[in-house]
Amino acid sequence: MSLTFLFRTLTRDAAKVSICQHVQLLHTGCQLLAAEKAVLMKLRKSTGYTFVNCKKALEKFDNDIVQAESWLHEQAQKEGWSKANKLEGRKAKEGLIGVFVGDKSAVMVEVNCETDFVARNEKFQQLVKDVTFATLAHHRNKTQNQAGYVKSILVGDELSKLSVGEGASLADQVALTIGRLGENMSVKRAVTVRIPAEWHIGSYVHGSMSCQTEVAMGRYGALVVFQGGKEEEQEDLGRKLGQHVVGEAPLSVGNMDDLPCGESETRLLPQTFLTDPSRTVAEFLRGKQARVLDFVRFQCGEAAREETE
Amino acid sequence: MAALVGLRACFSALQLSSPSLLHSSLKLCAVPVSRRTFAAEAKKTFSREKPHVNVGTIGHVDHGKTTLTAAITKVLADAGGANYKKYEDIDNAPEEKARGITINASHVEYTTANRHYAHTDCPGHADYVKNMITGTAQMDGCILVVAGTDGQMPQTREHLLLARQIGVEHVVVFINKADAVEDKEMLELVEIEIRELLTEFGYDGENTPVVIGSALCALEGKQPELGMNAVMKLLDIVDSYIPLPKRELEKPFLLPIEGVYSIPGRGTVVTGTMERGVIKKGDDCEFVGHSRSCKSVVTGIEMFHKSLDRAEAGDNLGALVRGMKREDVRRGMVMCKPGSILPHQKVQAQVYILSKEEGGRHKPFVTNFMPVMFSFTWDMACKVTLPEGKEMVMPGEDTSLTLTLRQPMVLEKGQRFTLRDGNRTIGTGLVTDILTMTDEDIANFGGLTKNQ
Repeated sequence: MSLTFLFRTLTRDAAKVSICQHVQLLHTGCQLLAAEKAVLMKLRKSTGYTFVNCKKALEKFDNDIVQAESWLHEQAQKEGWSKANKLEGRKAKEGLIGVFVGDKSAVMVEVNCETDFVARNEKFQQLVKDVTFATLAHHRNKTQNQAGYVKSILVGDELSKLSVGEGASLADQVALTIGRLGENMSVKRAVTVRIPAEWHIGSYVHGSMSCQTEVAMGRYGALVVFQGGKEEEQEDLGRKLGQHVVGEAPLSVGNMDDLPCGESETRLLPQTFLTDPSRTVAEFLRGKQARVLDFVRFQCGEAAREETE
Repeated sequence: MAALVGLRACFSALQLSSPSLLHSSLKLCAVPVSRRTFAAEAKKTFSREKPHVNVGTIGHVDHGKTTLTAAITKVLADAGGANYKKYEDIDNAPEEKARGITINASHVEYTTANRHYAHTDCPGHADYVKNMITGTAQMDGCILVVAGTDGQMPQTREHLLLARQIGVEHVVVFINKADAVEDKEMLELVEIEIRELLTEFGYDGENTPVVIGSALCALEGKQPELGMNAVMKLLDIVDSYIPLPKRELEKPFLLPIEGVYSIPGRGTVVTGTMERGVIKKGDDCEFVGHSRSCKSVVTGIEMFHKSLDRAEAGDNLGALVRGMKREDVRRGMVMCKPGSILPHQKVQAQVYILSKEEGGRHKPFVTNFMPVMFSFTWDMACKVTLPEGKEMVMPGEDTSLTLTLRQPMVLEKGQRFTLRDGNRTIGTGLVTDILTMTDEDIANFGGLTKNQ
């Protein structure tokens, strides 16, 4: 398909060139030559930058595709920043929650954008992944020497200063993505936990996008820290608990002996268990000989909503 | 083909725009051009003369969707077919409540020479899906806006994917910001690229009409070639390329039965509101639903105690049917043209689950949840099966579901329904596909019904 199109334009141009040769001598640079056009198409296909910028880059470097590409990348960073400044203040309530569970530590982040279209975009998902790993690395550095249970929450500015890979800060990365996708974005918050050896982390992400990375992403996310349970059942147990936390949105853990107080129960343990309504969470845990120690729940856009209220 | 359409469009655009140019200063004069009868600063009564079509704009952010919408209203306002809406008026999409569901969408209406349009501009993916499910303004076609300076951008893809998902079959492309592109050859490249993209998403990329212009020029009244004329040309193509939706009257008749009465000495009368089609005295009819089906003939039609020969969609009527007993028919069945509709027990549907704020549940649900499905005049318990990879459905989200009814009921593709649980409406949906029952389904459902 694309070949036929390309061929067609090429032939059309060849015809044009042969006719307008003299004219072209007079008006230099007015018309694109067929070869230039092919290069332009190629650069645009491989980088995805706008037609105007690709053309500018090629003109600047006399059709050297390699130099043009690196120039485009540089330019994108600059443009990203100016765009980011321009869009600052626009409401960003949509976005994604990213969750990554590693060895004895886990991280959950929220990155916001303006519309759910952008949340579905690969580039945005890549940003969420970058944020997740940057936070995780930062957390690992800081808590290397600490033992026991560590939970740290990062918001706004602290996050923007984190570095991704070679020196670039997270804020640069965000600006770059803003430049590409044209919407305001912000790294809202992140939570990281590190647990002692005998504890476990369960996680659940709801409304997940079919992304190919190891970071799970969706509109809701939960991390549950628990103890006990049979070894082979732990993963499933953690997932079910996470799912319950996402679904029932408890506010506190509560005690194992708390009596449930109806539909509006906000303590986790006395709540009716989501996947088995005949029992409470406490009863379910007792059956599995497990204990929930802590949990975190993120819902996309909830932090932004609270701020405006 | 495309060239021909384009040429035709050019001509009619000229035809259309020239009188408006000439007469714009002489608005008060009686304009003897018959084509302009629609203008005449029509007062607030809605005129139904022209066929109605729903369209929408899609495209990457900042490519000019809203500017184009504003430009269309401006150009048509000059011709008397719309009220000029400023960019800001359109951009602040108000929250609307349709069937209790909040949708952020701005609707703009305008009239071309041949048709009346409702133009939808939604800010988010979820809003378009809600729009489709509730049927507030199902899009019959859409205008894809691409900036000539940028070419297709990430969101263009997401939007096209969405258009596919919500069943939009006809797309017209508007390459915007042509005034900012010095090199006209680049516009060709943009056009080639967008045609490729359309083909990739399963549209007829080669024959999709593409208009090049600048919405900004049209708004500011500059460069009429790229501005006003291009917008006129676009509208003309939209007029001709997007087909008219099939009207309810042209479809085979369907009457969901609300009540059944037996009138001594005359026979059995069924009442209800005609969903679609036209019914005449003496027509053959079929009763379907509640695991029954039987054929009969309409021997009389009455509205407001007066008999009539013919009733059409929207009429509330009573129909006398030959040779039926009162017990043969009950509320929830439908009377239809024989063979035009069949009962089904298992369907695939796209459903929006109301959020707590909208009056829905505050808890999620999982597979095997049993709400009651309401559609036409029937209601029936059904079992929910979530799509693979999805473990639960949260309030406020849209999802695809498989619904298995306890008994076969009249269902067809495109039919709308409501799901209720107890005394609460929990969601509303649209049938997207009819599925066949497997042995497993039948066995499973047997067990569940016993428990009920």
